[in-house]
Amino acid sequence: MNYSLKSSALVCMTVLLSSTALSAETFRWASTTDPQTMDPHAVNSAPVLSFMNNIYEGLVRRGQDMSIEPSLATSWNPLEGENGWRFTLREGVTFQDGSAFTSEDVMFSYQRASDEAADVRSWFAPVADVRVVDDFTIDFVTTAPNPLFPDSIANFMILDKDWAEGNDAALPARDAENFATMNVNGTGPFTLASRDPGVRTVLTPHEGWWGEAEHNVTEAIFTPIGNSATGLAALLSGEIDFIQPIPLQDVAQVEERDGFKVLEGEETRVIMFGFGHEHETLIYSDDVTDANPFTDPNVRLAAAHALDIDSINRVLFRGKIQPASQLVPAGISGYSEANSDRPAYDPDRARELLAEAGYPDGFSFGLKCTNDRYINDEALCRAAASMFAAVGLNAELSTGPVRDYWPQLREDDFDMYLLGWSPGTFDMEHPIRFLMHSQDDEKKLGSWNFGNYSNARVDELLPMIQQEIDPAARQALVDEVVAITQAEVAYIPLYTQPLIWAAKDNIELTQRADNFFLLRWVTVN
Amino acid sequence: MAYFILKRLIQSLFVMLAVAFLAFSLFRFVGDPITQMTGVETSVADQERLREELGLNDPFVTQFARFTGDMLQGDFGFSYRTRQPVAEMIADRIPATLELGIVALIISLIVGIPAGVYTALRPRGVVSQTILMTTLIGVSVPTFVIGIMLIYLFGVQLGWLPTFGRGGTVQIGGWESSFFTVDGWRALILPAITLGVYQLTLTMRLVRAEMMEVMRSDYIRFATARGVPMRRLYFKHALANTMVPVITIIGLQFGGVIAFSIVTESVFQWPGMGLLFLESIRFVDIPVMGVYLVVIAFFFVVVNLIVDMLYVAIDPRLRVKDAA
Repeated sequence: MNYSLKSSALVCMTVLLSSTALSAETFRWASTTDPQTMDPHAVNSAPVLSFMNNIYEGLVRRGQDMSIEPSLATSWNPLEGENGWRFTLREGVTFQDGSAFTSEDVMFSYQRASDEAADVRSWFAPVADVRVVDDFTIDFVTTAPNPLFPDSIANFMILDKDWAEGNDAALPARDAENFATMNVNGTGPFTLASRDPGVRTVLTPHEGWWGEAEHNVTEAIFTPIGNSATGLAALLSGEIDFIQPIPLQDVAQVEERDGFKVLEGEETRVIMFGFGHEHETLIYSDDVTDANPFTDPNVRLAAAHALDIDSINRVLFRGKIQPASQLVPAGISGYSEANSDRPAYDPDRARELLAEAGYPDGFSFGLKCTNDRYINDEALCRAAASMFAAVGLNAELSTGPVRDYWPQLREDDFDMYLLGWSPGTFDMEHPIRFLMHSQDDEKKLGSWNFGNYSNARVDELLPMIQQEIDPAARQALVDEVVAITQAEVAYIPLYTQPLIWAAKDNIELTQRADNFFLLRWVTVN
Repeated sequence: MAYFILKRLIQSLFVMLAVAFLAFSLFRFVGDPITQMTGVETSVADQERLREELGLNDPFVTQFARFTGDMLQGDFGFSYRTRQPVAEMIADRIPATLELGIVALIISLIVGIPAGVYTALRPRGVVSQTILMTTLIGVSVPTFVIGIMLIYLFGVQLGWLPTFGRGGTVQIGGWESSFFTVDGWRALILPAITLGVYQLTLTMRLVRAEMMEVMRSDYIRFATARGVPMRRLYFKHALANTMVPVITIIGLQFGGVIAFSIVTESVFQWPGMGLLFLESIRFVDIPVMGVYLVVIAFFFVVVNLIVDMLYVAIDPRLRVKDAA
């Protein structure tokens, strides 16, 4: 008995050893969306930028904990005598085709990425001028002091000037494809071996990469799998090593099986409800047709008190969400520790507030939600609608796919709406700029502030926050904005969404809070 | 005959034009392509500029005229999502869908026809009853459930067959085929069964009903009385006469198989036209959706034409009429 057990264990060991020795080369992974293009300036979306970060690099990059670290620039310092930053570039870096990296490539990439044809040009709105100082020094002059500029260009990826110009790809493809849509030449740790859009994309390590490889992947094969049940089956059958994301309801199934693990983390995306602050009347109400009760901060506060986040967490999210007090989660720079309380679940208080506001019997209104954008978004809205109803706020819920959701919000077709926001720069300034500043198309501010929440002091504070160099003084300004918007219940922040990925047990990888997956941190054991 | 085909092809142009018109008038309800093409940080002004560049602000009639005009000149436009030429994208995906559809059709015929004949000849047998019951499940369970069940059984639990994709393919003059590798065939089995189940049930029930009807007719009775061997009677005299309606239905269904392979392709991540169409809906990729629908319409027309021509081959009476 003992002997046979030992020998079978030995057999198992050898089988395991030989199989790992074989599979240490190829890493297969899947995600729901195929990167639309291989051009890092053409589309400013997470699937593209996340994928392209394996191939191209920026002047700076984000580490495993999201902190900014040197990449193609080794150091950066504020300019003397004017606003802006001087970047000192890394020497001896080569592109995947062997050509050398210099400041000319940075200059070219800046021109390309800030062109009208590029979707990432908003990153360069603060830039007044870019000057090449020498082969490995370049200055970015900004219109005002901009302490966060280096952080804001972590996804600004550098292309080779000669390669792009030589292949007629000096500008990103706008309506037709060009060479850079399907081909790459970056400085990053991986390069493109083959690509069949929507089917299969193969990456192999870039031998001449300047960095020290922390991964042991020799070939990485990416397959988009849109259907989540198919993706899970592909993982459980062993055909892929890793998938991002998996639905919440499949977590138990993966955990139960030997040889697989669920990777859980917190995304930086905060889910919230917004209001039509500017609307004069409710659009979807049966009973209040001559006023918009949500213009009264107390009514908004009543709505906040009506929501029981702990129950939502327990029932809908299996305890995997973090309640949110403001538009960024704790840990993001600018997070206001001084304002970390959220309105408690207090239906009695909600009813009182409504009565004080002149709506003792409540009122009905329309609630707009997506059904395919955020985790469990439709279920969340159903739960919220019934919680609202319990205090007399009768939400008429309408849900739809995200592809026609934003146009509806832009046309002010809502009384209350659902929104998720991930701060692109990983700083509180980002949601202030997009969600809290008044709508101002000219200055490109408040572009996602659908209800046009407007507070003169917040508008005044935003440029001060953007320009303040001293961290303590800056935090005080941010705290003031958070305090104002909490007091006025500009939004009801609900929770931060979880990140749920699944992999085979022998895979080690890093789950970054921005939902980016980078091959350079993958180890196949 | 040539005149007949030509007439049909000209008719098909009108069918496609009608489909394009209907599709185009529905696209505005699918969503806004611009918000799908641009990132969160893109300014409203930049979005507007792109909308103008793509001609999305033009009146419906202008957009439709431009689309059909370009199509007639052979210009299928570029995808909003990937910026690739649409003609190339669809052409790349046609082999996957056609091969899947053809294998599904073959499975449904080689199982469905014999099963139909058998259940017609022994209507009360235990085997017949079992077959009928089983196939009833086949039509009542939705395709995606059948697909997922097959994946979990043969892919995850038993590990015999791949759960997604096409496996190994071989390029033959621009046609990417699964037919020439073992991996390709292994990947084909589950999706083809999933796609073929409904068709199989339909074929079987149709053959059974027709066969039972024919078996009751006078000429079969006379033939039986005359002592024609049973085998010859069933398969030559009876079965041949059931084939005309069967071919009509199967032929028309085949168009449906190609068009509705969307569900099967999605469940198996099968890189065919249906999957491309689904991705395009998600991104409101109007050029791809438009061309896909027109291609599918064309396909239906061609299948109908082939069915009409098969009648002539199968039914000698039609040939005589034609000659006269």
